[in-house]
Amino acid sequence: MEQPKVVHSTFTLERKFSKPPEVVFAAFSDPAKLRRWFADSKAHETEAFTVDFKVGGEEYLRYKMIGGPVAGLTVVNKGSYQVIVPNERIVTATTMSVEGRPISASQVTIELLPTSEGTDLICTHQGAFFENADGPQLREQGFRVLMDKLAAMLAN
Amino acid sequence: MFHALGDPTRRAMLDRLTHGPLSVSALAAPLGITITAVAQHLQVLEECALVRTEKLGRVRTCRIEMAGFDTLERWIADHRTEWARRLDQLGALLDELDEGSE
Repeated sequence: MEQPKVVHSTFTLERKFSKPPEVVFAAFSDPAKLRRWFADSKAHETEAFTVDFKVGGEEYLRYKMIGGPVAGLTVVNKGSYQVIVPNERIVTATTMSVEGRPISASQVTIELLPTSEGTDLICTHQGAFFENADGPQLREQGFRVLMDKLAAMLAN
Repeated sequence: MFHALGDPTRRAMLDRLTHGPLSVSALAAPLGITITAVAQHLQVLEECALVRTEKLGRVRTCRIEMAGFDTLERWIADHRTEWARRLDQLGALLDELDEGSE
């Protein structure tokens, strides 16, 4: 049997904010606010960002990397809103491509929980990571060993 | 990085080196390619910090260099870093709203 080439991983990030869920939610639903924290970064140069915040609507982000292992390359993030429960929940299906080649496909779930201090935000990212389509399919055992290592690392 | 890994000969070389260090000639022999060709492949792999070579006396030894693999792991882990950075930026934006700049 050919060896699997896709690495799956899930990670969770949590934040506590001192604002009520409606205010945090507005940072997702308002394109101007979303751009400031989601789209822009010192690590890249944003080239295009559009968002249609509704179920079935799309979010499109294109940027050029300034540093890191893919500096100078163009990255595209495309997301489709799957579920929106105002002030509570946003589920997005997204793909990330580098120079037009898909490198991952993910489901990102944002959950907003009201607390006495404000809001707890839980971000769960369930990703499928592909080998970069730079050449022939990757089959050799050595690379499979690497992928096993990566999967183990990502599981932590 | 991906260019380095995209070549099947280089992947075969990496595969063999995962089992332990080898001299250049030991690496070349089963691949049926010239020492020169192996050296060219090694250069690409060394540039990506996937392999390190060292000449001791007349023998050049090759071994896996973990720094390059760390880069690849980081590239995959970057999704997490990217989201962590975004959520930090969200926190900063929310704090700004206190200053009446809504």
